Amino acid sequence: MGIGKINSFKKVLAQLILLALPTAVFIFYLLWRLNSYYSILQNDYFNQGVYFASGMSIAIAFYAYRFRFFTTAGVVFLLCFIVYKYLGSITVGEFDAFYFSIQFLIFAILFSAGWLVGYGFGRSKYFTISWSVLLLVSQIVVVSKTTEIRADVLINAFVPVLAYAFYIIYSAELIRNMNEDETRFSFFIFKRIGGFAVLLLVLFLILFSLFGGNFKAIEKEWGGSKAQQGKGDDNSEAMTKKDKDGFVSNKDQTKLSGSLSKDKQLIFVAKLDNFFTDGVTPNPLYFTSTYYTRFDTSTQTFEIDPKMPYNDLYEPDPSKIPLYFAKADSNIIKNSLSTKNRKVVSTEIYNVYLSPSEYLAPSTAFYCQPISVPKEYKDQYRSAYRAKMWVSDLNSAYFIYNPAGNWQLAKFQEDRFNLLREIKKINGPDKNFMDYYTFMPKDEEYKKISALTKKITENASAPIDKIIAIRDYFLSKDEFNQPLFKYSDNPGVPGLPSANKLTYFLLENRKGYCAYFAGATLFMLRSLGIPSRVVAGFSTTDRSNKNPGWYWFYQDQAHAWVQVYFQGYGWIDFDTTVPDVNTQQAPQPDGTPPPAIPVTYLVADGEVESVDTVTKQIKMSVNKLLYHDKDYTSKEKKDLLMDVSMAVIKTDTGEVKLNVVKKGMHITAVSYAEVLKNILAEKNDGLAAIIDKLPKPVPIDEIKLFAKEEIKKLMDKKQKPKEVIDWVKILWILLFALCAAVVLVFFGPWIIWLYFNAKAKAEGPSKAYNRYRAALYYLNQLGYAKNEMGPNDYGNYIDAQFGTRFNLFGNTYQKLKYSTLQLTESEQKTVNEFYSPFIKQVKSKVPFKTRVTRFFNIYNTINYFSKPKTE
Amino acid sequence: MEEQHVQIEQALGNIQKLTDNIETVIRGKRKQIQFVLTALLAKGHILMEDNPGTGKTVMAKTLAKSISGEKAGAANFKRIQFTPDLLPMDLIGSHIFDDVKKEFVFKKGPLFCNLLLADEINRASPKVQSALLECMAENQITMGETTYPLEKLFFTIATQNPVEMEGTYPLPAAQLDRFYIKIYFGYVDEATELNIYKDYLGIQNNLNDIKQVLSMQEVLFLQNETEKVFIHEEIIRSVSNIVRATRQHPDIILGASTRSGITFLKCLKAFALVNGRTFVTEDDLSEITGAVLEHRLIFKNKEAKQKVLASILTKELDRLKKLNLTVGNNPIV
Repeated sequence: MGIGKINSFKKVLAQLILLALPTAVFIFYLLWRLNSYYSILQNDYFNQGVYFASGMSIAIAFYAYRFRFFTTAGVVFLLCFIVYKYLGSITVGEFDAFYFSIQFLIFAILFSAGWLVGYGFGRSKYFTISWSVLLLVSQIVVVSKTTEIRADVLINAFVPVLAYAFYIIYSAELIRNMNEDETRFSFFIFKRIGGFAVLLLVLFLILFSLFGGNFKAIEKEWGGSKAQQGKGDDNSEAMTKKDKDGFVSNKDQTKLSGSLSKDKQLIFVAKLDNFFTDGVTPNPLYFTSTYYTRFDTSTQTFEIDPKMPYNDLYEPDPSKIPLYFAKADSNIIKNSLSTKNRKVVSTEIYNVYLSPSEYLAPSTAFYCQPISVPKEYKDQYRSAYRAKMWVSDLNSAYFIYNPAGNWQLAKFQEDRFNLLREIKKINGPDKNFMDYYTFMPKDEEYKKISALTKKITENASAPIDKIIAIRDYFLSKDEFNQPLFKYSDNPGVPGLPSANKLTYFLLENRKGYCAYFAGATLFMLRSLGIPSRVVAGFSTTDRSNKNPGWYWFYQDQAHAWVQVYFQGYGWIDFDTTVPDVNTQQAPQPDGTPPPAIPVTYLVADGEVESVDTVTKQIKMSVNKLLYHDKDYTSKEKKDLLMDVSMAVIKTDTGEVKLNVVKKGMHITAVSYAEVLKNILAEKNDGLAAIIDKLPKPVPIDEIKLFAKEEIKKLMDKKQKPKEVIDWVKILWILLFALCAAVVLVFFGPWIIWLYFNAKAKAEGPSKAYNRYRAALYYLNQLGYAKNEMGPNDYGNYIDAQFGTRFNLFGNTYQKLKYSTLQLTESEQKTVNEFYSPFIKQVKSKVPFKTRVTRFFNIYNTINYFSKPKTE
Repeated sequence: MEEQHVQIEQALGNIQKLTDNIETVIRGKRKQIQFVLTALLAKGHILMEDNPGTGKTVMAKTLAKSISGEKAGAANFKRIQFTPDLLPMDLIGSHIFDDVKKEFVFKKGPLFCNLLLADEINRASPKVQSALLECMAENQITMGETTYPLEKLFFTIATQNPVEMEGTYPLPAAQLDRFYIKIYFGYVDEATELNIYKDYLGIQNNLNDIKQVLSMQEVLFLQNETEKVFIHEEIIRSVSNIVRATRQHPDIILGASTRSGITFLKCLKAFALVNGRTFVTEDDLSEITGAVLEHRLIFKNKEAKQKVLASILTKELDRLKKLNLTVGNNPIV
């Protein structure tokens, strides 16, 4: 085997720098991603990348010599195999043996792969194409491992692969075709690659400038989703979602997934005026955010259904209601279908990290009144509102669990069960209601749930007993006296991705978080014909006796449970989630609750008329007025001059400066000033009369701005309105761009011809030039290119083809171009009368079909305009 | 002025006639004839390379016969067959002792003529080849202390066998530079050849009865007129570009010199005249670039020899093609 060089040093260097280096970088990236999916890789992507890169580089350098592939690669692979076997025999201990051999196996596989790739770059012509295909396929496999197919996942996965594939195919072909004897070899290579990079950059810039806004939105989406996900766990699900500003709200849908991520972050603090009959023991209630009444079987996701029958979900936007003005919906009470054992309870919610437009309250809320946060607590709480609920006496966070030896609670539970036991059969208000809330998919998997439930509830007759039986089933012990069901944030997923997660949870795995318990309970109840729905919200824990009635809500309290309908009593909460033994004792101290809000004497709502930033006065036209808690809303408007030097100006998300306030803005002004205490309203006073009585200017303590678009722009960038990605629009623009490109490519030659032809037909000093050019272009487009021919030869060639007198014209043109002689009369006549008959003659000689096909050939055009290459 | 114009018109007409005249004998070689005349008008010399029997000698003979000499009869035509044992004296002449005058008199050699056919020039030794140098460049011969001027019209047509043939001495670069143009004579195409075979007797007669269509004066006049041919600045730029490109090209070891560039310009003008024009066009450039430059360049390999010059030329032609020079230069009224 004679050893001689195939590739020169230069070419090897080019391959190493331009092919191997980007490949190594890309493989690093790929391994990094793979490492997050496969635990066997041990998060050692750096070394793994080095294995691959070294194999590749050695192979490139090695195969630059005239080595044969099969023999040499065979030796390398054999060597790897022998070492692998040998390692297995010398290592001591089972774990060591396993660990080392696995490590070596990874090394061997990556090194060999690198070796093959290196050989491919060095010697094989079509290697890069199959390599790119392989990478794409592997990326598809990786993506299929993730449960959530989101845009950013796809982009993260495929954009690098595609860019790399284009790059590698292009540059490998370039290096292969380069003549390394060329003195300017490196220059050419870098020129091309540089050109490629510039092209990519330009494309990217064009895209970015075209869809700049959309990209920003995408960016935000990425940023948001990244903040939400933990590091690298794409397979997780959170009970809450964060919007782009970092605010938390319950999700619009809840999907059953392999793991749940939770944060220990204070979301809100609430004061709940619900006490047991003794009037002292606080009775905590779960805080409801939304109801999931529908279950999408194909995606195994619980969904909100705005069209649920007897919709009793109150969803006001507290940020849109003027401060201290209340909004209520009496339909909610009607739709709650409950008359027995209900009372109105109020709560105050101090928002820490809740989205400003989110409204949370124990079920069944029907009232919302934004209130102001005391000045000293402004930093702690962003906003606050008061809510009122039509609360059932039967509802309690203690309803099922945690009597904890407390006789009062135990008795309370017993009383309530007895009360509900009187209902022997649950009847809804109508058939539609019953059908809707007892709907169950007709699937083998759900029949398994049904069968299990029948077995569990054999001995129970009343619906409440059946519910208790189900609860007891979740709490029961197995034959080893271990809990049958365990709470787990990471229950894992069934082997088959499409398998039913609920039956997997209920019958096999028996581990899960609240959504699993709630979901399973829902279908167990529905299989018994008990109308039920899943509730999402926050579970309430009474942590201390320090501040009775105050509750602190952290993000890990985001919860899901079940509500069951009992006629007369309405929807009652049931929680079947087993206690989480691991996190029950999590140290989450209560804080100090905000003190009672000072008495508000004046609340004025209206539009800003003028702002004086020097004297710190605002003039507003008031159309809604609360004075000494009495509403004086009227149609008339009255100007009110306010002294805002002490006022705190707030938006939904924080404090702002006075200069943000502009004419025309909608504001609410609040005053606690003692001056107003003694200025009392007369019986028949209207809005105007009261304002007339007030001191001018009236001292104001707090101003709330209602976020309009223009205000948002004035505030910091975080507040930008969420830009919605209009994918349809993008698609249309792309389609349009594609069409434009197609038109340009196919009709480009034709458009150029139209231009040339028009120029040629016009009179003017350059008409000979224009005619010659148009004729040349026309002939070129029809496939009779001039190329290296001189004008005379070309003229003769054309005249021989078409029987024209192109040569004569050409010669005249040459005379005109290169001499100072005057044209003779006949020559002038040639110039003047040559063009149109010539084109006609050529047209008549070339059949229409040929003409069209050749004319739309962009290559001819490129040939016409491109400079000839120097050999 | 008017008179001179008429004279040019007439001379140009005569050139056409001369071309036609030669073509009656040398069939199907119009290009080659034009090249020969170009070299003649540019006051240069021509080198023809090809296998024996392609008509080189006949070409020279016909040309000589077509030009009328100063006295009666054709121009003075001499032919030297170069052989390895040829000596410079055989060309230049030698001093011979005159018995009567008792002194050495100079006996002129065959170089003292109007039209010299140096047949198979590369078969002579370098010594003989270099003897041709001065007379071709300076139109004079120096012998000892005396310098003898050559005839006013002195035109050399040299032929050479392809260098690869045995028994040849390749011409040195300096000698090649003296030849303004080098052409390959080449075989005629099939139809012309058949025609020649059918009519070889007639051709023989044509050669014998060839008419003298151009006088020596007219040739000298045209040689002077050549200098006055208009050459556009852009074409001069192209010549410069081409010459420079040959120097920079990686596949050319020795590029063209500045003298080659001047020769190139002269040939362009002459070629324009031969084609009956008093201005140089792209065509001239496209036709003669190879003939003028190729033999002056040393290429890296055979492939380069075939391609490089053509590609340089193509680039220049493309540049010229796209120029719009008609504006302001010669507006059509």
